[in-house]
Amino acid sequence: MYPRLPHVTGYLTEHVAEDDFVTLEGYRARGGWLAAERALREMSPEDVVDQVTASGLQGRGGAGFPTGQKWSFMPSDPDGPSYLVCNADESEPGSFKDRLLLERAPHKVLEGILIGAFATRAEKTFVYVRGEYSRAADVFESAVEECRTAGILGRNALGSGFGHDVVVTRGAGAYICGEETGLLESLEGRKGMPRKKPPYPAQVGAFGRPTTVNNVETLAHVPHIVANGPEWFRGLGTEESPGTTLFGVSGHVSRPGLYELPLGTRLDEIVFEHAGGVPGGRKVKAVIPGGLSMPALPAGQLDVPMANESLRERGTFLGTGGIIVMDDTTCMVRVACVTTWFFRDESCGQCTQCREGTGWLHKLCERIERGAGEDADLDVLRDVSASMEGQTICAFADAAAWPVQGFLRHFREDFEAHVRLAKCPFPASFEL
Amino acid sequence: MPTITVDGRQVRVEEGRTILQALDDAGLLMDGVDVPHYCWHPGLAVDGSCRLCQVEVEGLGGLQIACNTPVADGMVVHTTSDRVRDARAGVMELLLVNHPLDCPICDQAGECKLQDYAFEYGAAGARTREPRRALQKRVPLGPTIVLDQERCILCRRCVRFCREVTGTGELGIANRGDRSVIETFPGVELDNPYSMNVADICPVGALTTRDFRFKVRVWFLEERPGICTGCARGCNVWLGVAHGEVQRYTARRNDRVNGSWICDAGRLSYREIAAPDRLRTPLVRGEDGVLRSAELDVALDAATRRLRELIDAKGPGMLAALASAHLTNEDLAALRRLLDRLGVDAAGLTLVMGEGDDLLVHPEKGANAAGARAAGFGDPAPILERLRGGGLEGLIVLGHDLLHPTLLGSPDALDDLATLIVLDTHRSELERVADVVIPGRHLAEKGGTLVNAEGVVQEVAAAVEPPFPATAQAEVLDRLAEALAPRLAQAGGDG
Repeated sequence: MYPRLPHVTGYLTEHVAEDDFVTLEGYRARGGWLAAERALREMSPEDVVDQVTASGLQGRGGAGFPTGQKWSFMPSDPDGPSYLVCNADESEPGSFKDRLLLERAPHKVLEGILIGAFATRAEKTFVYVRGEYSRAADVFESAVEECRTAGILGRNALGSGFGHDVVVTRGAGAYICGEETGLLESLEGRKGMPRKKPPYPAQVGAFGRPTTVNNVETLAHVPHIVANGPEWFRGLGTEESPGTTLFGVSGHVSRPGLYELPLGTRLDEIVFEHAGGVPGGRKVKAVIPGGLSMPALPAGQLDVPMANESLRERGTFLGTGGIIVMDDTTCMVRVACVTTWFFRDESCGQCTQCREGTGWLHKLCERIERGAGEDADLDVLRDVSASMEGQTICAFADAAAWPVQGFLRHFREDFEAHVRLAKCPFPASFEL
Repeated sequence: MPTITVDGRQVRVEEGRTILQALDDAGLLMDGVDVPHYCWHPGLAVDGSCRLCQVEVEGLGGLQIACNTPVADGMVVHTTSDRVRDARAGVMELLLVNHPLDCPICDQAGECKLQDYAFEYGAAGARTREPRRALQKRVPLGPTIVLDQERCILCRRCVRFCREVTGTGELGIANRGDRSVIETFPGVELDNPYSMNVADICPVGALTTRDFRFKVRVWFLEERPGICTGCARGCNVWLGVAHGEVQRYTARRNDRVNGSWICDAGRLSYREIAAPDRLRTPLVRGEDGVLRSAELDVALDAATRRLRELIDAKGPGMLAALASAHLTNEDLAALRRLLDRLGVDAAGLTLVMGEGDDLLVHPEKGANAAGARAAGFGDPAPILERLRGGGLEGLIVLGHDLLHPTLLGSPDALDDLATLIVLDTHRSELERVADVVIPGRHLAEKGGTLVNAEGVVQEVAAAVEPPFPATAQAEVLDRLAEALAPRLAQAGGDG
């Protein structure tokens, strides 16, 4: 039995418990590859882009950019090859949704890839799989091989005349290679350092060619949109954020795991009803709603729909939908320590603010946790994180600054207590 | 041409340029419009990583880096707003978080962009109490350059120089985040003919040349414009002068000639100026055949007498002149005047040919070869032929390039000359056979105009005085012409 099956399933995760779903035969037996056949044989690339645009699908990789719009940036009459990249470098702490899709629904992802490639006129797709996801890469490679043999991929994909191939490449375990241009650098064999924009990947992407980079889950939605139409998709989720998504819940909850639920499902519903709340009679202290880079919310602010338009009002974002729950024994300064340590470790180091800021934030948090902080350090934390925000090549510095701002905004008393007592007042919290 | 507005000033810009490039094109960058920057360099591709050049562009949310924001007609840019000022102060504070602040012992102090910009754009106080990163202070990257990893601000100019300009790619950044350090790749040294440019473009004291390191505090240097005399490129250099001596050459940007670079050999050729083998005194061969130092007047008298005797006895047809390609147009004009007075036609250019490359180094090893050719000093082969065959009685030689193996080689062929007058900057084998040797000045000591291989005429002024009495070649030649004039005029009258 696969150990990480979702607790709640929807159209994305239906059948993932069934072992033969990973095979071409099993996928076809459950209606798979029909959407791609329809798209490639009966629709034009513009039709597909229009459908996806009309569906309102937002990228599920963290930034929430409208997928149809992203596809529309691709040249319609390129003077050479264009590429699609499937970003399977899932490395946001708290996120583990793409792994399930890669391991249990590889053909669904591949079908989304083929449709997306057709829509963007890409002749090849590079699937960049996080290095640690070796099993996912193995499973996915088998599925690609099956599709090549069956003529689903190749010079005449699904007999449509559209030629396409898929190449699976493996990363080496850097968070920054999940940033789309850091990924492209790594894909091309260089150190994973994000590229300055302009040019954007749709102009100059992989190997100097126009490229679209889409997240695994994003592409997995596409066959369903093509099969059922944009209206069906818009019938799920909220008006601005349609569809379901895979929420990954971890931390101090009774039932950690994946939950496929419509966007707009309330955070407290996910934490308490679906995930069973905090075990051991303790209370929730903080919840990070969308992976480690998103600002945390305090217990009193969980009555928020999980969609960007609502979370934005609370000063945070959906991110990758990775929900991290922390109970009332948790020291938020320690959380800040591990968070800033992570971003310090993973910063590629190009941009001044990120390279120096991530290190400084971590050193500050650590000193405060040791009991050697002073009141002025809180202002420095605030100012340094402000200096990092919105000023760098990629969004990594924001991702490093936002959580610190969130901790300071909602849990300032934890920081102040450390300074006042000159020690950590949470002896029962997790060890650093 | 599009026009943009920067701080209320209209700037006409070329299509396709970025804001920073456009300001640089207009000659306004850091000279009218201050947009401080570290990673951007006019000779390198845009990097966009130091984030110091952020400016406000109306209509675009957030701050934009000027180095990578393309201009558009009607664009309105602000470089002095509060937001820009705060962002700059933020970057400066962060750049100093790990900097060792060892300015008192840093060679760059005084010409350091980190000092300058911290002073100009940074906050007065430091707020960090955290330990700074401890790294290697003296990493020899190769035969020419030493790296101080602690001072490095990771602008990657050096890395990009070696990748983009020399194509040698010796340097890279190892590790990640605030553990990043510049390193050579394993088993590789930073060793290419342009390696020392990385010290020029390093905005801080991280990269220093072994040649200049700890030689003199830069605030004692006066930087004077000069031209490298190594080859026909005529690269523009700054002469760093202290204690009356040229202490170094650094590249002086001239996009028509050498961009922002100079070769290592040219950079080190400043050593020729105060070299131990400089000719320090005039030399005259006595009756006994021994060459002895003499006053300039005595040497000029001796040269005048010998030339007069030779022409009287054999006529001007038995005399020739060979000019070095290092001479200025002014020197060459004076030589031409002298030869005209003497009625000498045989004049050639001793130009040494060597290796060239695709970047700057030109195979013609003389900064004014083109100028000399334009002044009528051409192929020396006929003169060399006559020298070897004993068909000449007298020779005036400027410089000693004719001793190069590709020209005359050994001075043996000059043994039979009745008269050999040498005007030179450095000692050479010519002393073995010369009758009169007169010291001249290096370009840095006299200035003048030169024509480079592309026909660009460049003028420089004298930057230093020679440390011993030496007279500019043009003046020596004019004095010779003057001394010879009355008699020759009379001889002409007789004819």
